[in-house]
Amino acid sequence: MRSSWAREVRAIWLKDLRQEWRLRQGIVASLLMGVATVVGVGFASLGQTLSSGLQAGLFWVAVLFGMFPALARGFIVEEETGTADLLRVAARPASVFWGKWLFHATLYLLLSVALVPLYALLVVPLSGHLGGWLLLWLGGGFCLTSVLTLCGAFVAQTAVRGALLAGLTFPLLLPLILILIAGSRQAIEGVFPAEPLQGVFGYALALSAGGAWVFEKVWRE
Amino acid sequence: MQQWTLECRRLGKRFGERWVFRGLELQIQAGTVLVVRGANGSGKSTLIKLVAGLLAPTEGAIQLWHNGNPVPDRTRLLGWCAADGALYRELTGYEHLRWWAQVRSLPDARDALMAHLERFELAHRAHDWVRAYSTGMRQRLRMAIATYGDPPLLLLDEPDAGLDPSGLKLLKQVLDEQTRRGIALFATNRAECAEWGDLALELGA
Repeated sequence: MRSSWAREVRAIWLKDLRQEWRLRQGIVASLLMGVATVVGVGFASLGQTLSSGLQAGLFWVAVLFGMFPALARGFIVEEETGTADLLRVAARPASVFWGKWLFHATLYLLLSVALVPLYALLVVPLSGHLGGWLLLWLGGGFCLTSVLTLCGAFVAQTAVRGALLAGLTFPLLLPLILILIAGSRQAIEGVFPAEPLQGVFGYALALSAGGAWVFEKVWRE
Repeated sequence: MQQWTLECRRLGKRFGERWVFRGLELQIQAGTVLVVRGANGSGKSTLIKLVAGLLAPTEGAIQLWHNGNPVPDRTRLLGWCAADGALYRELTGYEHLRWWAQVRSLPDARDALMAHLERFELAHRAHDWVRAYSTGMRQRLRMAIATYGDPPLLLLDEPDAGLDPSGLKLLKQVLDEQTRRGIALFATNRAECAEWGDLALELGA
């Protein structure tokens, strides 16, 4: 059972990667937004010393901006091209959720690979407690990916996508981003961000337990 | 032959205020092809989608039975082919079939997949992107996907649309084979194809 589930998740993930590789729409849009944000921030802060809070805030804003275009590459494109029904018949809802989650996580990884060095070059190198940074990046990535996957699934099935997307993602992402910024600020100051990490991993636990379950309720009519 | 039974009890579907159908009772045994007929908007596709699990019934229930025991998730045991069912334009026919095999935990060895595509006369174009396929080739690919792994429940929603005479012959073969292993629901409005069924259901009558 477990191996067949893993095989199913892997097949959905690889299908999305293959399509992305051939079209390069999601990653290009994500990189464009992320890079434009970092370049803009770098230009605006040229010659200035940024406080740790500002450094942390600008970093996560750049990541968030970069991840938003990826939202459309998961479920919205499946609904718009009409392939969602094939996916619904083919695979179990939990497999679809985690397959799409892996695809978004891959985009997050690629975006980070591009943004972190660019941010270091144009704004300020990520410094301080690097272990804390790494854990925040992992936990934050997990949560960000889960929220975007879940919101993408909700939004894809409605006609008023723009309004719902804003209304749905704002309350889900705002607390996460605030915790990540608080944690990153501590990490920059050389302090291990224990309390923010508790919040991030608690959020991640709630999403991993509830995300697939909620998704199952909305994926099939 | 395995004993499969598809049962619909007091099945009804409503969109907004309009009931597409209501109180539908069906019991279909293995070895049966049920032809579903009716005018446009009579609910043929809706019935197929309800059985496929793509829509939820407004009232009533659908149950697949195997040797007298209820099947917990029939969606894992069915093949679905709809004329308007979209395919991934940037994947090849071979990649579609391999993906289906993997998500359904079916054999995905290259030889098995190519042999199945060959049966549907798609092997020579197996590695072309689907966006380059003709309407008839896409329909053959949908049939190839739906029948891969010999599902006990085969749902065909106007699969004859866009098929040439050799494609129609293939469709007839598919239905004949299905009668030897399970159940088929076949929605069509084409008179000559409607004769291929064992039972007929006229919706909207």
